[in-house]
Formats: sequence, C-alpha cells, structure tokens
Amino acid sequence: MKHPMLKYLKETGTYGDRLPTIFCPGCGLGQVLQYTLRAVENVSRKDGLPLSRFVFISGIGCSARLTSHYLRFDSIWSLHGRAPAVATGALLANPELIPIIFTGDGDAGAIGGNHFIHACRRNLDMTMICINNGLYGMTGGQSAPTTPRGFTSTTSPYGNVEKEFDLCQMAITSGAGYVARWTTAHPQQCIATIEKGIRKKGLAFIEIMTQCPTHWKQEPAKMLKDYRTRAVRLPEGKETERPVLGRNQFWVGEFLNIDQPEWIETYQKIIDRFKGERTPMPK
Amino acid sequence: MPKLHVEQKYCKGCGICIEFCPAKILKVSKKMNSRGYFPPESDEMEKCKKCGMCSLMCPDFAIVVEE
Repeated sequence: MKHPMLKYLKETGTYGDRLPTIFCPGCGLGQVLQYTLRAVENVSRKDGLPLSRFVFISGIGCSARLTSHYLRFDSIWSLHGRAPAVATGALLANPELIPIIFTGDGDAGAIGGNHFIHACRRNLDMTMICINNGLYGMTGGQSAPTTPRGFTSTTSPYGNVEKEFDLCQMAITSGAGYVARWTTAHPQQCIATIEKGIRKKGLAFIEIMTQCPTHWKQEPAKMLKDYRTRAVRLPEGKETERPVLGRNQFWVGEFLNIDQPEWIETYQKIIDRFKGERTPMPK
Repeated sequence: MPKLHVEQKYCKGCGICIEFCPAKILKVSKKMNSRGYFPPESDEMEKCKKCGMCSLMCPDFAIVVEE
C-alpha cells in the first residue's frame, strides 16, 4: 500500500522521477503540502466539488516548488510575489475556480507585500497559505522581514536587530475575511483550518509556521517540539485580558472570521443591474 | 497485526515519525536506503494503535500503516 496522498502527486515526469521531493530532509513544506491535500480531499468529498475546480498558484522560493512540480491539479508557477495577482486573473476569467495560493514569507511579506495587501483589501474568494520559516531559505538563509528579533541568520550572525513582521495582523488590517495561524506541529488543526478557509467566501489567509532544518541547524523533530511549546493558543475573550507572552512565543489559532462583501459577487450584482438595458450596436 | 510500509526510495530519514509516534515503537533502521539515508523500522508492531500520526506528519509521503 502506498501513501494515501500520493494519488494527487506526479511520481514521474518528463525528466525522470519527480519524487522524492527536492526539499531538504525534515522540511516543513512537504508537511504543508500533505495537510493541504488532505483538506482539499475532505472538502471535495463532503461538498461534492470536482477536483478540476481547484487551481494552485505559487510565486518563487522554496514554497513555490510545491505546485507545478508535484501536483496533478491545475497549477501555475508564477512570478516572485505575484501569485495573488495571477490568482486574481484566473478567478476573474473563471469565477467557478477555487484558487489556493502557496506563498513563502519572503514572497508574501517582502517582494510581494503590495500584492498581498491588495488581494486582502479586495477580499477575493481565494485561500492564501503562507509558509513562514522566518528566513530566505532558497538563497542561503539570509534574514527576512519575518525573522524574529534576536535570531541568528547568515546576514545577522550576532542576532537580528529588527522587529519581525506579523503577517496575520497585516492581513486583518488590510481587510481579509478569515485569518488564522498554526504551525507544522499542529496537523489536525491545520487541516481543519484549511478546509474552513476553502469554504470561506472571501480571502482566507492562513499562516503556517514551518521549520527550516538546513538554516536553523537543528534536528527537525526537535524544532517541531520547540514549536509546540512556543505556540500559545489564542484565548477567548477580550484582548486586554490575554496573558503576556513569554520570550519567542507567539499566538496561534483563528484570529478573524467575518463576513464582508466579496469582490466577484459585488461585481456580478453590477452586471446583473445593467443586463437587458444595453442598447443594440448601431449599424 | 498492522503492518508498517516504508517507501524506501522516498524516505529522507528526518526522524519526525520516530519522535512523534505516540506508542514510541519506531526506531532508526541499521540498513541504508539507495540515497544514503536511514529509514525508520519497527520490531513491535503489535503495540501500534493505527493512529496514523507517522503518515500524517511525514514530509515525504513515505510511511504508511497497513491493516
């Protein structure tokens, strides 16, 4: 018996075997791919959606290798940071599609920052999965906007002096409808959240904190256990009553789930309003 | 008794399944695979509860528990 998720992956291609994946041993990207595939399978089975309606879009970076290299789904490997723009185009051309975007932290937070903000602002009906490992993994472990203060990287050997970027807060202020954060050490929660994000009408931004064994120079299992202690579940209730976070800790959970006007629906209403009023073209 | 199946050529020997098995029945094999990694193996599969944690957390789609 093979792994149940291998039926969604291309095992061989034009240039020989595609699997095992190109990622380093213990990389969290394979885990994120597996959680997403399980969520997609659950959604398509429970809601009766055909798999041909899903489309996967990615930018550049380690996270971008997840789409067109391995998936049997429709997928686009697009420009650096421009995955939300490409997804917008795909969605406007065919509003039936369900776009799922894989971005890295450098992709969404650094070079594609404006595309990310404006995709959130328009509240388009897509799911954005941001895989955050806290540095630029593919180019050699330089510090990224999401590197936490005090963490060492190749360009900050004495500890990073800058404050890190909180992408979830950014998505909330920009106007996304659904915002959540988990880590790769929370598999069931990740699957449930991605399912909810796919069903959500509007932009669902899901940040998944991953490990980078190559550049953090630790054992993958140790880093995952470390994430379980560092990640604190967001308590219910008011913001002022929350406990104070310890050093290197961060909140996980569902941050926002609100219903807002969605772009495609709003635009369709305008189209419907003027239908039938159009005068024929003069001859 | 459940049977452990490890796809030898896909495993990269990261050890996540060994650490996260709730029954702690997986261990590193002494036999190297074709890519030079040491995949997991188990001698005590009768203790397996079939929770599927190993296959759920595997980054390389390599490990699965059969009935």
